[in-house]
Amino acid sequence: MLDRTFYAEDRLMAQQPKKKSKSKLWFLVHSWLALPIWFFVLIVCFTGMLAVVSQEIVWLANPDVRASKPDDAGERLSFQQVYEAMQKAEPDTSVRFISQPDGSHFALQASVTRADGTSALLYVNPYTGAIQGQRPDFDFEAFTRALHGWWLVPFTNGYSWGWYLVSLLGLPMLASLVTGLVVYKKFWRGFFKPVRTGHGSRIFWGDVHRLAGVWSIWFIAVISITGTWFLIQAILGDNHVTISTEPIVPVIAREQVPQTADGSPAPRIDLDEAARIATQTIPGLDVTFISLPATAYSHMSMGGRGWYPLMYQTAEVNPYTRNVDSQFLLSDRSTLEFVTESMRPLHTGDFGGLAIKLIWFFFGLVLTLMVLSGLLIWTKRTAHATAAALKRAERPARAKPARETTLEAQP
Amino acid sequence: MSQAHTLPQGGFKQWWLKWRFHLNILLILIPLGFMPKYFADASLFRGDSGLGANVVQGLQVGRWTLDLAELRDEAPRADGPAGDFKAFNAALCNTCAEGVKAIYLRIGKPRSLRAAGSIFFGPPSRMGTNLPIPPRTRPDADIWVTIEGWDGKMYQASVPLAKASPATAAWLEKQGGNK
Repeated sequence: MLDRTFYAEDRLMAQQPKKKSKSKLWFLVHSWLALPIWFFVLIVCFTGMLAVVSQEIVWLANPDVRASKPDDAGERLSFQQVYEAMQKAEPDTSVRFISQPDGSHFALQASVTRADGTSALLYVNPYTGAIQGQRPDFDFEAFTRALHGWWLVPFTNGYSWGWYLVSLLGLPMLASLVTGLVVYKKFWRGFFKPVRTGHGSRIFWGDVHRLAGVWSIWFIAVISITGTWFLIQAILGDNHVTISTEPIVPVIAREQVPQTADGSPAPRIDLDEAARIATQTIPGLDVTFISLPATAYSHMSMGGRGWYPLMYQTAEVNPYTRNVDSQFLLSDRSTLEFVTESMRPLHTGDFGGLAIKLIWFFFGLVLTLMVLSGLLIWTKRTAHATAAALKRAERPARAKPARETTLEAQP
Repeated sequence: MSQAHTLPQGGFKQWWLKWRFHLNILLILIPLGFMPKYFADASLFRGDSGLGANVVQGLQVGRWTLDLAELRDEAPRADGPAGDFKAFNAALCNTCAEGVKAIYLRIGKPRSLRAAGSIFFGPPSRMGTNLPIPPRTRPDADIWVTIEGWDGKMYQASVPLAKASPATAAWLEKQGGNK
């Protein structure tokens, strides 16, 4: 069933008779890698492309998400100032977490729980502390990521099987890259080959596929390798194997939480003080997010990117003793963790601001087009091959019409 | 091997050969099918669907009144070697969190604050905890809510597990203490 008809672009192969059969085999493998699941691959590429810029799409669509600077505004507020402004505006609302998304054009995000037990993510102006709005029930960012990442299949026991389904695609994608390069003779000369028009759509799409392919070599490699990592991550996770050196932070010892004579809560340091202590103790720590203690025995957790922008550093400050009880810095990471923790940002492109995201978005679009053009080539070729086969079946007595550009593969 | 020799004349076969590779479009039914569940879960985690399932309302613990609910009406979930866990939510009435330092949940009555159970995380209006369920627990066991006051005192109340989580009691019944 693997017989397919080959066309002119493979003349190069035909000129190398020794390697011919091997190339043909690789060509077949290449053709068949994505084909039976082309639509799935297409949607995963397309939603991945959207997910990369989902935050920016929301920024464009929803003014609440923007960090608009009022004319009379001065500096950006500190975490504690923002917290106080929010408490003033909504006294019954408990703030759990405040973060500054990557990019100063984004409003602060604050996770809160309201008195009625509902929780929300609020968009807060970093200059005024004003609550600009809250994340709508349909969360475009989360939805595209869930669709792309696990096909919306819920996580019930360990990783969702949708996660496996999607991350498994890393393997055929990697194989597509390798076989594509093997089949495309002297691909390094293909970077500036013009796309031929006027020779029919199959030639056109073939040229587009090859041109897009050579420019995307690095991107396909990055996406397929990191995608395969997600598969490995799920396998490790579901088998309870961990390679993390991140310390498990114990709760604050009972003795360190003061008793109060009148039964009122023990005083805790404020957010700015906690951030100040952490940045003073840990040189180079950038605090872009901070979470309030989730229990009376919990720390104030905070962190931000380190000098290596693909990884975060975090610190846990004891709000009673003012001590940095735990930290997880770049220098604490093992070499293996530098590799594995880099995988996710490399996949999503969210480690260098808008510019990197736009590059990832563009090549995501190119990759989506590669799937489409690959399919178009295949259907054209198949349509021809089927027509030819039908013709032969109808007139079995007649000799096979020899097409000068056609080779018949007989694996 | 060659299609030329095996290609049938039948209309269906021909259609099948041409279209079989497009059948994977049907994979789109997976996310479409899970979409209602996805949005229901999002609503559940936002708290828009209430505290959870099988809500025990107005449990009196000391001078406080507490609502307790399991996150989902289902049996405990396994977490590898750590054992089986059941997610519970709790909420203190709106204006009555004063003096509460911590709230704990445990199967069986805790003897001291040091063994009060798993602590509830989050603001008083919606807290959550993951309660370990030893497989040999008796299905008629009680779960105990312990409130630790800032005054250092301990206040307790209990609910039958079968009431707070019928699915967990049924699951334990099925285990039959065999594990």
